[in-house]
Amino acid sequence: METFLHQVFSGLATGGIYASIALALVMIYQATHHINFAQGEMAMFATYISWSMINAGMPYWAAFFITIVIAFVAGVLIERIVVRPVENSPVISVVIVFIGLLVIINSCAGWIFTYTIKSFPSPFPATPPFGSNLVSFHELGSMAITLGLLTALFLFFRFTPLGLAMRAAAQNPVSSRLVGIRVGWMLALGWGLAAAIGSVAGMMVAPIVFLDPNMMSGILLYGFAGALLGGIDNPWGAVAGGFIVGVLENIAGAYIVGTELKLTVALVVIIVTLVIKPGGLFGRTFVTRV
Amino acid sequence: MAALLEATGLQASYGPTRVLHGFDFAVEEGGITTILGANGAGKTTTLRAVCGMVKTQGAITFQGARIDGKATEDIVRLGIAHVPDGRGTFVNLSVEENLRLGAYARRSRAGVEQVFERMYAYFPRLKERRRQQAGTLSGGEQQMLAIARALMLGPRLLLMDEPSFGLAPLIVREIFGIMRTINRDEKVSILLVEQNASLALDLADHAYLIETGRMVMSGASKTIQNDESVRRSYLGY
Amino acid sequence: MAATTETSAVAAGGYAGLSARTWRVIGVLAAVAIACAAPFTMTNYHIFQLTLTLVYAIAVLGLNLLTGFNGQISLGHGAFYALGAYTTAILMDHYGVPYWATLPAAGAVCLVFGFLFGLPALRLEGHYLALATFALALATPQLLKYKLFEDFTGGVQGIVLLKPDPPFKLPINADQWLYLFVLAITIAMFILAWNLLRGRLGRAMIAIRDHPIAASAMGVNTALYKSLTFGISAMFTGIAGALGAIAVQFVAPDSFDLFLSIRFLVGVAIGGLATISGAFFGAAFIEFIPNVADQISKAAPWAIYGIFLIVFMYVMPTGVVGMIRVLWGKLRRAIAGRPEGVAAR
Repeated sequence: METFLHQVFSGLATGGIYASIALALVMIYQATHHINFAQGEMAMFATYISWSMINAGMPYWAAFFITIVIAFVAGVLIERIVVRPVENSPVISVVIVFIGLLVIINSCAGWIFTYTIKSFPSPFPATPPFGSNLVSFHELGSMAITLGLLTALFLFFRFTPLGLAMRAAAQNPVSSRLVGIRVGWMLALGWGLAAAIGSVAGMMVAPIVFLDPNMMSGILLYGFAGALLGGIDNPWGAVAGGFIVGVLENIAGAYIVGTELKLTVALVVIIVTLVIKPGGLFGRTFVTRV
Repeated sequence: MAALLEATGLQASYGPTRVLHGFDFAVEEGGITTILGANGAGKTTTLRAVCGMVKTQGAITFQGARIDGKATEDIVRLGIAHVPDGRGTFVNLSVEENLRLGAYARRSRAGVEQVFERMYAYFPRLKERRRQQAGTLSGGEQQMLAIARALMLGPRLLLMDEPSFGLAPLIVREIFGIMRTINRDEKVSILLVEQNASLALDLADHAYLIETGRMVMSGASKTIQNDESVRRSYLGY
Repeated sequence: MAATTETSAVAAGGYAGLSARTWRVIGVLAAVAIACAAPFTMTNYHIFQLTLTLVYAIAVLGLNLLTGFNGQISLGHGAFYALGAYTTAILMDHYGVPYWATLPAAGAVCLVFGFLFGLPALRLEGHYLALATFALALATPQLLKYKLFEDFTGGVQGIVLLKPDPPFKLPINADQWLYLFVLAITIAMFILAWNLLRGRLGRAMIAIRDHPIAASAMGVNTALYKSLTFGISAMFTGIAGALGAIAVQFVAPDSFDLFLSIRFLVGVAIGGLATISGAFFGAAFIEFIPNVADQISKAAPWAIYGIFLIVFMYVMPTGVVGMIRVLWGKLRRAIAGRPEGVAAR
């Protein structure tokens, strides 16, 4: 029973990370109707930048926040420079540009930081909380941080004028222009936020899976599966989907297929969702209100 | 005195298809001008051209400065508010959020709450429904919301695209009454595109008739109203 | 009048008295002739590279049938390539089946699996489908390494194959024979594709791509045709995989990763969506550009590759063949001496 609970908690912790990636994907999808295949690589690269700063002696939390800012700026720049020229191109051109980005970032990471696996520190103590082996401080801390992030985002979108403008731009770009919103910059901001979220996810997951250039491809897949399971048009659904996928992955990995086939679990989730309920668990009927 | 909005030789195209073939018109400061014509004549395109939403040739000036070729969001910030055909409501947002978005590009942040109050005074039904999702409002209420949203900007010029479309006669009368009040009290000039010619001519000072992208007549609305032959051939009543 | 006859002949795309169609046939025959002669003029290594280019051309053609002609994006065709490759490897290594006989088997297996994958995939469009196939591509190496299948797949080490000898004691070496064998299959596959596209299946595929609702309203069984197209597309890529396994003489799980699927999609985009001849340009890009990229930057060759990709999408979104068509059109108009826009098509 204890191992089962442990798997569940682990699953929730990693689920929080998947939920963040899923949210980043859904945000970009809602705003642009494109899925950013390079999301994982961007998060990985941000994590490497953080690692470099920490290695150079910077305290963890300073590096953490500076990385988030850098990731944000990078996201904005990438949207304005790389994505904007193909905004209105057919889907396959856009997909290829994203794939091109994926490949460039992945390759640059390997070149600059080498392919040796590195360890990434966790800001949380290593000793188990309350002497129990159910869940580690890092897992608890991860969950707290991802939940805190998601709450901050919710507040931003719900209660600030800029958040409102971004929602408007995503839902109805034409009307948004008619109220004076610079829709192009709203898109860029969306990318910036998504990149920032991704960087947090990367920094939370690196202590668990260790840092290497291919760290995020599996996680990206779980993020996708979560977003799809929750309903790709729905930010809340994406978050819920991410948590569910996290737990499912751990349970399936521990009791059903063994750890080597974990990615297949993601594939199966995706296919089953598509066959049974393509709109996701929380489909289109849910009113989108992030 | 120079007009508030003036267009000379306005041409507009959707892709390779030319829709407006050299249209000249003007809106006087404080006045109400209407553009009339049948379906497909180019009325909506004219408003879109003013807002930079279609490709144009020819000159458009607003308060003496050229605005053709500018981006829609920049034209809006100069003080032109557009109530598009189909209302353009943000259907997934609340009434209050829609109004707040209208104020997004206001010149000054000060006085936004007062503007809210004024809009709620003009449209009490919007105040009742302010937390409701905008997509669930009736057609008439959405039209009111669209007008109120446009006014939140504090514009000098209001562009209205077929406000009577799909609405019951009583609501239409109410809305046209409000437009008269707005023109008088808010000092907002109006460029109105309408299919309902009689209502439009009652409201406006000046009218233009267009047919397949070309102007066929213009003049004071009283004159056009009283000219039976014009009414019968072009306006159908 | 002489002027009218000449201009109308040019307007029909002809030149020097022959119609465009005749020129195209001449062009194809010339290309085939050159292709047949090629292996006797170069080193074994270059022959090997050409062989692989042909293999990739079949794979890219397969993907183009699905993505270009039927509008379904797949980021997972590497999985079918792997399936074909492993089918061949297992048949040859465990059951001693001769290499040429494994091809129909590989094709059949991929046709069935492609069709089965196409069934749930039908509900997806654009990015969603890309996503689902992305998942397939990522899962493939893991599946290939899975302990349960190790007896068949050889696990992480994979399976080693022997290069086939030329039959009938022909006076050519094994590499040259392999090349000619692959060339023959390539020509056969391309003719097959061309025929499919010209017929009912092709029209249905394209109708579904352009106006799925209208197609459905006209009685086209969209679901069936979409899955069928997936199956056929997988079959082409699977046969390419089989040939690839024979040429490389080796299959191992890590060769069939996400990047393989990405390469095929790239080949389609570079060559030109919905073109048959584009597959050759795409395949050449896949085979030779990585070497170029390597020379430009030893440290991050894929980064250069990625930059090529993005620039291509900005500059040549319709691919090489698309660009050739545009240039050819301009050339024709210049020759005819007519102002642009008058030569209607």
